[in-house]
Amino acid sequence: MHKFILVIMLSFLSIQKDSGKIIARQGNVSFFSYTPVENIKAENNQVLSIVDLKNNKIAVSILMNAFVFEKALMREHFNESYIESDIYPKATFEGKIIDFDPSMKGVQTRMIKGDFSMHGSNKELEIKAKIEKQNDVFVITGSFEAVVEDYDIKIPPLLRGNIAKIINVDFKFEYEAYEN
Amino acid sequence: MLILSLNMKLMKTKTIVSILTFLLAISFVNGQELLDILDKEHKDTLRFTEATFKYSRITYGQSVQTRKSGTLDVSANIRFWNTPEERSQSFFVDRLNTRFALEYGISDRLLLGVGGSTFDERFDGFIKYKLIRQGVSSGSPVTVSLFQNASYFSDALPYSSPGRMSSNRLSFTSQILIAKKITSDFSLQIAPTFVHRGLVFNDNDPQNHFAIGFGGRYKLGGHVSLVSEYYYVANPIKSFDTYGPFSLGINWELSDVMLQFMLTNAVSMVEDAFITQTRNNFNFKNPNLNFGFNFTYTIHFKNKLKGKR
Repeated sequence: MHKFILVIMLSFLSIQKDSGKIIARQGNVSFFSYTPVENIKAENNQVLSIVDLKNNKIAVSILMNAFVFEKALMREHFNESYIESDIYPKATFEGKIIDFDPSMKGVQTRMIKGDFSMHGSNKELEIKAKIEKQNDVFVITGSFEAVVEDYDIKIPPLLRGNIAKIINVDFKFEYEAYEN
Repeated sequence: MLILSLNMKLMKTKTIVSILTFLLAISFVNGQELLDILDKEHKDTLRFTEATFKYSRITYGQSVQTRKSGTLDVSANIRFWNTPEERSQSFFVDRLNTRFALEYGISDRLLLGVGGSTFDERFDGFIKYKLIRQGVSSGSPVTVSLFQNASYFSDALPYSSPGRMSSNRLSFTSQILIAKKITSDFSLQIAPTFVHRGLVFNDNDPQNHFAIGFGGRYKLGGHVSLVSEYYYVANPIKSFDTYGPFSLGINWELSDVMLQFMLTNAVSMVEDAFITQTRNNFNFKNPNLNFGFNFTYTIHFKNKLKGKR
């Protein structure tokens, strides 16, 4: 009987040791806003993402003030006037990769479904992503469109022509094994 | 569930159940909180507060703010006021003082500027260095900048005036600017200041002055903030009455343009002059109240995305 308990305990411990997770520490997220007045482009190379290979859950965390713009003033306005990164420093995504098979080699295209939270607003997203596996390295790439209105971001009437209503977002994450 | 039912079958004590639930709880936490793991990863990076003030000047005086590297600010600063004459012909613009200025960010912390004023005919140049940056949640609690300017008083003087020699027409102002962004909307600044005046017309007047400046910003909306500033001079000029310069203003930003509107009693826009030689008090009697207007256009010479890849 005592052996039985021991076996159970050991099995739990072994699960804990092998985290079964992969992490991307230098993920790339960029976004583009195209209008006749001006094009705005920004890039962030310090995005974090983690995938739990056991249940196909994925999480992404983006530091908003790490976005780099062409113009230094754009970055200040983005953080100060639009995203308010003092109050909402991060944008996060939490979801699941549907029908993801971690053991499959090569490229698979899957839907990622989950909640995207930015500027204090939540939005359910469904994103098509390409997942590539080479040896033990996973690379997830994809893009989606974010509607500015959904995230309660105020744009003054005078500048409405400068910022697109729909922003294109591209992402690329390279994962490696995660050890805690 | 299987484990629990097995457990029930074995009819063992409560301790086993509690151990199992504890272990289950661990594995549950382990599997669930992916975002918490990412939060821990984020913690290593030290971040600095941005935009304690929105521009290198609060209204007329310097702020802790320097500009980002490769940006050039082209600005026209104008003050309008009325003369006390009753039969004034113009609305608020009997006199005006305009200062044109160029300010360039050598690095994110080092700012150089030059300017020239029309009314008081001063030409000035300054250097400002951001020494300490306020951190977000950790790091320094305040931002500290060092400021040094030199201004040349070029106005013609009477033949008998002691200041006709150009060697003592230069004045210098040194400041330690200390500011804290207290909340995302509210910033305060305190600025110990030392002024050395080149020209002293009366022997009783001090040549060196100590002053302290106070400034604040309150963000009213995404693009608009309310700003105010005041300087107290510890040893003012004795031969004529001077007052501490005070201002109340609004900053309004529109992409590359910064507009600052203000009411002030400071006529000059050069540090040594407005700190020590503001001759009007702040009230609504002509010519005391000035309406001020700073227009700044920012040109970016560096594409921050280039060379990043």
